[in-house]
Amino acid sequence: MSEIIDAKGLACPEPVILTKKALEAHGDIVVLVDNTTAMENIRRLASNAGCSVEIADEAEGIFRIHLMKQGGGTPGNLTPEYLSCNTDAPLAAAGPTVFVIASDTMGRGNDELGSVLMRAFIHTAAELESLPDVMIFYNAGVKLTSEGSDVLDNLKKLEEKGVTMLVCGTCVNYFNLTGKVAAGVVSNMYDIAGILSRAGRIVQP
Amino acid sequence: MKEPSVQYQVALFESVSHVMHAERILKEAHVPHKLIPVPRIISSDCGVCIRFLPEHSEVLENTLAGKVEGFEIRQL
Repeated sequence: MSEIIDAKGLACPEPVILTKKALEAHGDIVVLVDNTTAMENIRRLASNAGCSVEIADEAEGIFRIHLMKQGGGTPGNLTPEYLSCNTDAPLAAAGPTVFVIASDTMGRGNDELGSVLMRAFIHTAAELESLPDVMIFYNAGVKLTSEGSDVLDNLKKLEEKGVTMLVCGTCVNYFNLTGKVAAGVVSNMYDIAGILSRAGRIVQP
Repeated sequence: MKEPSVQYQVALFESVSHVMHAERILKEAHVPHKLIPVPRIISSDCGVCIRFLPEHSEVLENTLAGKVEGFEIRQL
């Protein structure tokens, strides 16, 4: 007898979280969801957890997802790729929304103005209702994550809200900021390229 | 969105150039502040302003007085 999880009407990422919890306790579950984003995210979570996945249309707009553990797998951590929540943009359902901060300035023309704009952008990003899943900082963008940055409080707030922040280690080294990164995790090109390649949406201010 | 519990004040300026000029002066004088977009409750224009804590209001005004024209302090 399958454990039935009714996740209809729940806002993302609740369906994925409920599924993960259910998989920790049961080997055979059925999840009911009412949107394709949740369905795709649960399918991905289940595949990575080593479950068989069968999806059927229960009724109009409702998916019945039958998951069975095949042994050995565990749901693992809820990485951002399972938690993409934007149901307005179907493309975003395929992966995380990633903000790429490739500079400490925004736009070209005047760097002082660009700095003003980038700081205003980061400040505003921390107040967005629809947050990114991941923020990647590279080249001069890493300066924003380092001690003395004017937007450290905003970045820490974003981290507290669950945004994963990857900071390019090569760039940190280049700008002599080793040991001074105060927000995010110093990362490498494998992780950065991996996240970018799986991104559902990339936003670069 | 939850508002911060601290009651900040902001200084509004006539142009972005005035904001940047003011920021340079405040940084040199080590007056604590933060550049932020002008809050929507004040203006829908795309603009930036300088936010600060009330206890820094006096030193901020004194630091900018005579150096930056026409700025206005508002309570958030």
